[in-house]
Amino acid sequence: MEHSILYEPVNRLLTALLGAPPVGRLSPGWRAFLFPDGEKAWLQDNVIMAFLLFAALAVILPLARRGLRKRGPGWFQNLNEMIILAVRDLIDDVVGHGAGKKYLPLLGTFAYFILLSNLMGFFFFLTPPTSSFQTTLALAITSFIYFNAEGIREHGVVGYLKHFMGPILFLAPLMFVIEIISILARIVSLSLRLAGNVGGEHLATGIFFGMVPILVPWPMMLLGLIGALLQTFIFVILSTIYIAGAVAHEEH
Amino acid sequence: MSKKGIYGILTMLALTAAPAFAQGAEAGTGGVKWGVVGAAFAIAVAAAAGAFAQGKATAAACEGMARNPGAAGAIRTMAILGLALIESLVIYALVIAFSVQGK
Repeated sequence: MEHSILYEPVNRLLTALLGAPPVGRLSPGWRAFLFPDGEKAWLQDNVIMAFLLFAALAVILPLARRGLRKRGPGWFQNLNEMIILAVRDLIDDVVGHGAGKKYLPLLGTFAYFILLSNLMGFFFFLTPPTSSFQTTLALAITSFIYFNAEGIREHGVVGYLKHFMGPILFLAPLMFVIEIISILARIVSLSLRLAGNVGGEHLATGIFFGMVPILVPWPMMLLGLIGALLQTFIFVILSTIYIAGAVAHEEH
Repeated sequence: MSKKGIYGILTMLALTAAPAFAQGAEAGTGGVKWGVVGAAFAIAVAAAAGAFAQGKATAAACEGMARNPGAAGAIRTMAILGLALIESLVIYALVIAFSVQGK
């Protein structure tokens, strides 16, 4: 497994500042979870890359906000408006008219983060954070908590739990268990799909790159570009559909 | 399926299995690495079935768009969503293949 260019300097800096990671004091399970590389590394590649992306977005987007213009917007404003309007229209279509503004902050953030981190796979010195299962699990858990919270806010706890009961009282205990399992499986499916797609494409491109470093990996990189856009769209639209399912009012 | 097809598949299986057996015999570390065989088999079956399903879905979507171009936008969204859901099952197989190949 290759590391990104920031892996060495960041971990050397952290080790110089804080000393080696306290792997000896942790139980083996926690050690494998927190420090898979043992004494060598404080942070994994995906964490460093996610922080890098976070810092870049936190600097660039507020700066871009200052330059917003109603007349004659620049290319950067046009690009951002395209992404944001696409997400807003998507939510309007799926959840209902007027919902776009309400759910835009989180889903738009998902779109930005996932799209940019998928596109990081194009640079051989970076590693896409979404190619690791931990990052996408964090994203999926965020989405899971959000749609449940929105459902509870819309219906109240009892009303929301009633959603899971199904229409027939007789079958309610069975339906409840099945529904709970199915919404827990959403976390797994969201995170595995994203990580598997991005990681698989990154790996395949890397293998082609290793064979012949020019011309041969380009078709795979084109596929990676399509996949990056597609996986962003899929993650956002699935989150939107889950929210729509959680806040929907049943009509009888 | 025709008889020829079945023979072809059997021959291909034999051909793909041969290097695995040869490697296991050469290494001499207790026979075949079943993890590698299992991983390859899992991803092969998943990719074949997933490709078949995606082909059917795409064909149906194209047909629908050709018959009613006005509904192309909605059909495209549903088609992409369905393709991604089919593909995610193949991706699960890929993840499982990664996790068993070392064993």
